[in-house]
Amino acid sequence: MNEAPTVPQVLPKLRISRLTPERSGVGEFLRRLRRNPLSVTGLAIIVFFVMVAVLAPVLAPPPRGWRDPYKIPNESFAPDPRPPRPGHPFGTTSEQYDLYYGVVWGTRTAFRVSLTVIAISVAVGLVIGGFAGYRGGGADEVFMRVTDVFLAFPGLILAVVIVAVLGKGLDKVLIALSLVSWPTYARLLRGEILSVRQRDFVEAARALGASDVRIFVRHVLPNTIYPVLIYGSLDMASVVISAAALSFLGLGAEVGYADWGQLINLARPWIIGAPGNAFQYWYTLVYPGLAISLFVLGWNLLGDAFRDIMDPKLRGQA
Amino acid sequence: MTAFIARRLVLLPIVVIGTTLLIFALTQLLSPAMRASLFVQDPNQMRDLEAIIRKYGLDRPFYVQYWEWLKNVVRGDLGYSFVARQTVAEAIRSFFPTTLELSLFSFGLLLMVGIWLGTLSAVHKDRWIDHLSRTVSIVGTGLPTFVWGLVLLLLFYGMHPWFPPGRLSLEAYLYVTSDRFRSYTGLLTLDALLNGQLWIFWDALRHLVLPVLTLSYFTAAVLVRVMRSAMLETLRQDYVRTARAKGLPEPVVIRRHARRNALIPVITLASLILAGLLTGAVITETIYDLPGIGRWGAQAAQQLDIPGVAGFALFSAVLVVLGNLAADILYAFVDPRIRY
Amino acid sequence: MVEMQSFRVILLVGVLVVSLALGLGISSAQQVKNPDTLIIAHSGDVDSLDPAWQYDTLSSGITLWNVYETLIFFRGGSVGDYVPMLATQVPSLRNGLISRDARTFTFPINPQARFSDGTPVTAEDVKYSLMRFMMIDRDGGPSWVLLQPITGEDTTRDKDGKFRMEIFDRADRAIQVRGNSVVITLARPYAPFLNIMASWSMVISKRAAIAKGDWDGRRETVARFNNPQRNADTKLFEGAVGTGPFVIERWDRGTKTVILRRNERYWRGQRAALQRVVFRTVEEFATRRLMLQQGDADFITVGRPEQSQVEGLPGVRIVDDLSQFVTQALFLNLNVKGAGNPYLGSGRLDGNGIPANFFSDVQVRRAIAQSIDYGAIRRDCFRNKITLGNGPIPRGMFGYNERGRWYTYDRDRAIAAWREVQGGRVWETGFKLTVLYNTGNAARRCASEILKRSIESLNPKFQVEVTSLAWSTYLAQENEGRLPIYFLGWAADYADPDNFVYPFMHSNGTFTKAQSYSNPEVDRLIEEAQRTADPARRRQIYFRLQEIAYTDVPTVYLGYPTGFVVMRSWVRGWYWNPMFFGLGYLYALSKQ
Repeated sequence: MNEAPTVPQVLPKLRISRLTPERSGVGEFLRRLRRNPLSVTGLAIIVFFVMVAVLAPVLAPPPRGWRDPYKIPNESFAPDPRPPRPGHPFGTTSEQYDLYYGVVWGTRTAFRVSLTVIAISVAVGLVIGGFAGYRGGGADEVFMRVTDVFLAFPGLILAVVIVAVLGKGLDKVLIALSLVSWPTYARLLRGEILSVRQRDFVEAARALGASDVRIFVRHVLPNTIYPVLIYGSLDMASVVISAAALSFLGLGAEVGYADWGQLINLARPWIIGAPGNAFQYWYTLVYPGLAISLFVLGWNLLGDAFRDIMDPKLRGQA
Repeated sequence: MTAFIARRLVLLPIVVIGTTLLIFALTQLLSPAMRASLFVQDPNQMRDLEAIIRKYGLDRPFYVQYWEWLKNVVRGDLGYSFVARQTVAEAIRSFFPTTLELSLFSFGLLLMVGIWLGTLSAVHKDRWIDHLSRTVSIVGTGLPTFVWGLVLLLLFYGMHPWFPPGRLSLEAYLYVTSDRFRSYTGLLTLDALLNGQLWIFWDALRHLVLPVLTLSYFTAAVLVRVMRSAMLETLRQDYVRTARAKGLPEPVVIRRHARRNALIPVITLASLILAGLLTGAVITETIYDLPGIGRWGAQAAQQLDIPGVAGFALFSAVLVVLGNLAADILYAFVDPRIRY
Repeated sequence: MVEMQSFRVILLVGVLVVSLALGLGISSAQQVKNPDTLIIAHSGDVDSLDPAWQYDTLSSGITLWNVYETLIFFRGGSVGDYVPMLATQVPSLRNGLISRDARTFTFPINPQARFSDGTPVTAEDVKYSLMRFMMIDRDGGPSWVLLQPITGEDTTRDKDGKFRMEIFDRADRAIQVRGNSVVITLARPYAPFLNIMASWSMVISKRAAIAKGDWDGRRETVARFNNPQRNADTKLFEGAVGTGPFVIERWDRGTKTVILRRNERYWRGQRAALQRVVFRTVEEFATRRLMLQQGDADFITVGRPEQSQVEGLPGVRIVDDLSQFVTQALFLNLNVKGAGNPYLGSGRLDGNGIPANFFSDVQVRRAIAQSIDYGAIRRDCFRNKITLGNGPIPRGMFGYNERGRWYTYDRDRAIAAWREVQGGRVWETGFKLTVLYNTGNAARRCASEILKRSIESLNPKFQVEVTSLAWSTYLAQENEGRLPIYFLGWAADYADPDNFVYPFMHSNGTFTKAQSYSNPEVDRLIEEAQRTADPARRRQIYFRLQEIAYTDVPTVYLGYPTGFVVMRSWVRGWYWNPMFFGLGYLYALSKQ
């Protein structure tokens, strides 16, 4: 969806082992998490962002009588950005949108967009991929072809077509990104389910007379959580970047909406600075850019950490 | 093996039909009047909307329109792309070589860097080189491409005119488009060498530096991490330990045994990357003013140039399926366990 | 040990990269780059280089007077003063080349005139060019500009889209070849005709066109060439052979580059100073600006919002306050069409929408006109480079009334005005409006937001939504009358007030039809002004029309923005005329 696919399309071919039944448990998980300094950093970053998102109305209160808190307030529509000053700690971008306000509320937008897209993709992927993987045979073949079709088309272009047809707005962007992301989750889950399906304890459960649904929910499902966690956390970051790319093409959130990608997009003509001072408008890029980069960094570190933790082969090396 | 290839090739038209059908289906969400309006540019002649609808058959059922389009495709007529101001076939022919050249250079660079750094990272896990490369690669995935591209442009063109945008300088362009220059492949660097014009080769190369850096940074970052984790996994394998126990020198162990097997997931990723590069270098092409297929595809999608998008969909589907096929064939060579 | 090796490798690579960069670098001297080639970097795509097809400023800007010449031309920067170009004299009442009743115009063709391939220009070529321009009549094209005055109709087709041969016959009779002169008899006296000729009578070589497979000028074949589909045969509309100081060397759609080459056989005198002119499409503003800085572009297009980015660049000259003959306005739809139209909200006066005929009440319209912070729009959306409007006719054009009255923004008066509407009912219930603009237009977006802000600040029950649509969708919906309140503009086709009052005020005008506005007095006045040659009477009429625009206010006029041009200071000879499209007259330019 960016200019190249992300890691996780490869994951199904890597062997992701999960915690074997006797050593599972949240406590064990957290203990291992804490021992890895990089993953602690990742966790800390994410927690920081969560807090900013939750406390947004306190950190950057909208002006009284302001109807939509996601619209960044501006005192005028003057076209030139202005540097940080009292009242505007991060400065104001083109058309005087307050960068501090935009970055703070943009955190909420970032979470909203990524969580929604991933939730929808996982849900759809689980149903479709699960069905295909569990049933196998003809259904599986059809499934593979359908996902082939979706994956054969560059995600960005597909998203552009969808948004162009449906119209502008962040909700349309959510739909477009979900439509582009679900096949990968579906494939991932199908792969997992295929491998679990043959396992002994599933055979045993079936021999005991358990219904398909029960087997699915009790045995198959829990084992798919881990790859979803890993891929999902890596994807949280890439969805936000994809939304920024859509803003570049003029199809993301509207101008003045509290969205990091949109703020960076507003900075585009100003990144090269003014005649004589190439970094005159540094603040238009640095603040939202830093926000996005840290957000991505956090989720990437966390995703890496999840993967390192859940691979029993690496346990001995920790 | 041939049976396997044949079977995969049979699937090609299915995927192609699937993707193009998807595009057509999406555009049906627009009313005929809206789709007709795409053919008109001026308020003055809007009264002709009805005539336009009839002329292009925009009110006929969707499957009829699709069927018409499909029939034309088989005949070789992909329609006219108003965004490109030429027929779709001409558009693909003129834009693809640029993207191909850009992609091949980027692919080569990121493959070398990715594999090398990824191996290094895995072998020296948790030491400074590992942390450095992981940081650099994470930073690479953290910023949108267009930011990186504009910053590079500012630094290496704005402050000093070393690497200008565009594909060629004016002088070189005039030479290339004149009768003295024969275009063999459409790849400027290659053609320049084939024509014996070394200065054009350097000119084209110079214009490729920044776009290649922009395009490959992001993907190289991804590749480094995949290579690293793949290497980490193979290095734990029993056969590696055996090789070490046998007394083989470490570099040989890494190169001959571990890396070969670690390349398997990389090959998967590489084929996806190439397909992605070929069809999706939208942002890079826009910033550096390169007349490539990604820019055309994005513009066509934005302005709902339906023949353009459908043609683009078709083309990219073909590329991706062929790429996957190539990857699967490569597996057979790399991993003796896989046999078709 | 392996580590040391890797470190050395990294160091080596770093040194290589830096030396490569330095080695390939050229120092940026500020002496003239490419001294005999002019390079223009613009945004947007060239649509066509064929005079009968093109109808956008970019395409016309490349070819008009540069590749194809017209019968007469503007004298310097004036729009009312002409000099001969392909004709030997400018027709006037005095020299008898305009008939007494101002209906017949005679253009004697200069026997020295030559096409770029050396062949002489005949009156037959002129007639052919004019007929072709009118008969091709493509959807959304410029043919109506000549069709209207010459035949009395503005289209060659009937309601079902069939070609009407009688239009051809009328045009054929109206344009006569007498010796080496072309005599044009208009359907009705039309005062602005000379002005139209200055911009729209581009002459191409008939022989060369026919050789390319184009229309041969005969009645039997004309229907086939009417309203061509673009993809039918693009070669036909790539460009033609003209008489101008430049010829089209190549149009590379792949790289979006148009190259003009000097016409070595230019008939009017010395050949052009520039050997080549290159037009390149570069969409990204940052890239364009850097190209200007480095001298890789001599002209670039810059929008008002980015203007501060090019001020103060060394070696760059900015010419501002260029008069443009453009009117920007906010249109109110008196009768919004479309059942269930989402832009009407609830469709009723209940605080959640507006009824379809909301703007048919003149009190509502006047209240809106008083609720707009024009000063803020002027300051923020146009950087003060706009004259606030008072009617359709732009400043600088004949018929503009500098002292014409218009509404001003005053919060208290606005509130008072709203309180009076429908006896206070609107004030009590409130409403929800949707304002629309076309996506990408920054000035209109800015104006929409200011409009929203100003109206919402009057009464918490007043809600304004701002939405944008892609250009072609926008036009389609506007034309269908589905937009309740929206921004549009109009640029002059020719420098006569009729070109403005007709679309903005006549009941058959392009805008007014969509707005469902009709005023018989207006229609009468406009038609009288079209027929009168007496400037004093015309001015009277246009002043009266401005008053009606003020009292009826179906359209809120924002103003007449001025333009600015950005070029490298080594470009010499550039001058401006408000009727120039794009850059203007390239013949005069050189680089030193």
